Amino acid sequence: MSEKTQRYMRFDVAQRIEHLVLILSFTILALTGLPQKYSLSPVSQAIIQALGGIETIRVIHRTAAIVFVLEAVYHVVVLGYKLIVLRLEASMLPEFKDARDMVEWFLFNLGLRKEHPKMPRYNFMEKMEYWAMVWGLLLMALTGFMLWNPLTTARLLPGQFIPAAKAAHGAEAVLAVLAIILWHFYNVHIKRWNWSMIKGTLSREEMEEEHALELEKLEKGMTPVLPDPETKRRRERVYFPAAALFVLASLFLVVRFVTLEETSITTLPPAERLPVVVRRSPTPLPTRPPTPTTAPTAEGAAAPTTWEGGIDRIFAKCAACHGTAGGLSVKTYADLLKGGKDGPGVAPGDPDASQVVIKMRGAHPVKFSDAELQQVIDWIRAGAPEK
Amino acid sequence: MTQKFRLMRILPLQIGLGVFLAWLGLLIAQNGVVYAASSGQEQQPGNAVCLGCHQQPGQTMTLPSGEQLYVSVDPAQFGKSAHAKAGVACAVCHTDIFGYPHPQRSAQTIREYTLTYKDTCKLCHADKYALDSVHRQAFESGNENAPICVDCHNPHTQVQVTDEQGNLIPEELGKSPEVCAKCHNAIYEEYIQSVHGEAAQQGNPDVPVCISCHGLHKIEDPTTAKFRLASPKLCGDCHSNQEMMAKYGLSTDVYNTYVSDFHGTTVTLFEKTSPDQPTNKAVCYDCHGVHSIRRVDDPQAGLEIKQNMLAACQRCHPDANENFPDSWLSHYTPSPTKYPVVYYVNLFYKFFIPTVLGVMGVLVLSDVGRRISMAVRRRSKGQNQGSKEKTQS
Repeated sequence: MSEKTQRYMRFDVAQRIEHLVLILSFTILALTGLPQKYSLSPVSQAIIQALGGIETIRVIHRTAAIVFVLEAVYHVVVLGYKLIVLRLEASMLPEFKDARDMVEWFLFNLGLRKEHPKMPRYNFMEKMEYWAMVWGLLLMALTGFMLWNPLTTARLLPGQFIPAAKAAHGAEAVLAVLAIILWHFYNVHIKRWNWSMIKGTLSREEMEEEHALELEKLEKGMTPVLPDPETKRRRERVYFPAAALFVLASLFLVVRFVTLEETSITTLPPAERLPVVVRRSPTPLPTRPPTPTTAPTAEGAAAPTTWEGGIDRIFAKCAACHGTAGGLSVKTYADLLKGGKDGPGVAPGDPDASQVVIKMRGAHPVKFSDAELQQVIDWIRAGAPEK
Repeated sequence: MTQKFRLMRILPLQIGLGVFLAWLGLLIAQNGVVYAASSGQEQQPGNAVCLGCHQQPGQTMTLPSGEQLYVSVDPAQFGKSAHAKAGVACAVCHTDIFGYPHPQRSAQTIREYTLTYKDTCKLCHADKYALDSVHRQAFESGNENAPICVDCHNPHTQVQVTDEQGNLIPEELGKSPEVCAKCHNAIYEEYIQSVHGEAAQQGNPDVPVCISCHGLHKIEDPTTAKFRLASPKLCGDCHSNQEMMAKYGLSTDVYNTYVSDFHGTTVTLFEKTSPDQPTNKAVCYDCHGVHSIRRVDDPQAGLEIKQNMLAACQRCHPDANENFPDSWLSHYTPSPTKYPVVYYVNLFYKFFIPTVLGVMGVLVLSDVGRRISMAVRRRSKGQNQGSKEKTQS
């Protein structure tokens, strides 16, 4: 195999699967989280609707978060095995050289240096991403816990830490997504498609540019020294139970995390507790006044004795109907004497023959008051004088 | 003899029908505008004829149920009514009561009697009949006590409630809760003690009365998920109105801050994406009260007082402790004095995000620059070599 076509191993299958899980959970978290942060934008609302509504989106978000956390637990266990059992180099730890590499890389890009820096197995670009991821995970898990369990949080911290957690959770998400797009996408997809997380290897040219130091080591045949089987087995005997304990503890914490509190009631809060229909006791309607206003006695004057002297006023209210009704008009003295279809309205001197009195004592719907009727009877008995 | 008597008895009805048809024709000819004249029309008794008897106060008619049907009309009050002013004659509505003695009525109870006028208003106010209302639904589902027009609008006393432009007269608006109180008295009693009800009673036209939120004639069922989801907007309509809120020194941010906080985001999303979905996320009235809304500094119920706020939180979050109310920003925008932790977290990210992205951006740009210049150099080199090769050959 020629130098040019030589492939250099970067990530084994397990690491590539791990990366895939991370891609999935991160993408789902971003897709379900950002629309919640920017909930008023039409794009967010379209996403929310497409994913089954805000409640469903929250369930998806929280499920993806659990996957993300479990992935981190797995990562720590594998990392522990590599560092404690295999005693491999902690190649992800940031060093002073990384800062220098970054500056030199920048100067090289500007044409101020002839050579690009020779970079180790994980260069500063990758370390930036890795540690940003670690920081992001811890912060998101912590603030996510606070948002998921606000009652518990409020027992431990002042209440405003909960909206503060929401602010940090959202802002950190924006930072993470933008960093992935700007930094990760540029470095592994745009400037050159990097196959190492899919095929597992890099070409010599890529290794030369990004991991020259690692390439030198590999070409010198400096492969990591693995412990002899006996030492390895001895270390594993300690590490495996410890790791198992760690995994169990982590799982326990995750389950607690999810089931810690019943944040709110699941029923509708009571809206209006008062009974809807309560009838008001109605205002009493006006009753018939004790003395009719039309009765002259009510005005304190002497009882009328003539038609024009006040009897006409007693008949005034009859005129509303008895302009014509029953053939009777009571508008003038003469009309009243003439009467209607049943005979003369008033028979001077004889109240019992006067239809007015007969009707008032009978079934007429509207009646004079007793006082009024008495005045009318007295007036007729006195010969029903007009003046 | 009996034949003749019968004819005479129905004669007024026949006349009445004729008059009614003539009047209906007039109505249609006038394009639905209500003008019913009482005078100048042959045979139709004028209002004076009816009032001749019915103006006497305290007249009642005993119905078979033993109830007393009040049959008096106060001419002074009637005179102020919209119907009197429009010249609507008694006989327009009381189409069957021509002549005397009045025809026998079959109603056994007052309610039955009232319901005989159920469709009477339709003659002139058909537009209102077309509206769907919770009252109408209740009536149609068999509740005969559900209000019909005349239960709210006494046709003998109902005054004109709109001005020439068709706007509700503030004074009438202020009186309107009394109408609802006839049946919803418990809620009314609570409402008049609320910050809105107190002001409404003093004639303040800014505050909501029953119909401001529940609507007029088209009263929606307020117990539905839809009403609940839409309710914050109802409050927000006035409470985002700068001109109106300035008068009382109230913030116009209450709606925006609600929408951007936990409950409001969900409610707003539900309202937009699935308006019929029930949610128990708090809306304005869950904390502030439905009809019992008090000032925020009210000692008994004001939410500015922490114990009151905690009690409000605990209605949905029974396990909340005294720290919990602060997890809600109380309609404030965080500042160094109000919710400083939130403010400083936001401030941190305001600088942190651009810094991180800025560093990354500069590095990315430098790389892009180098790759472009390299590509350009390689191409020009290739061209130079090509031209050299040409000259050599």
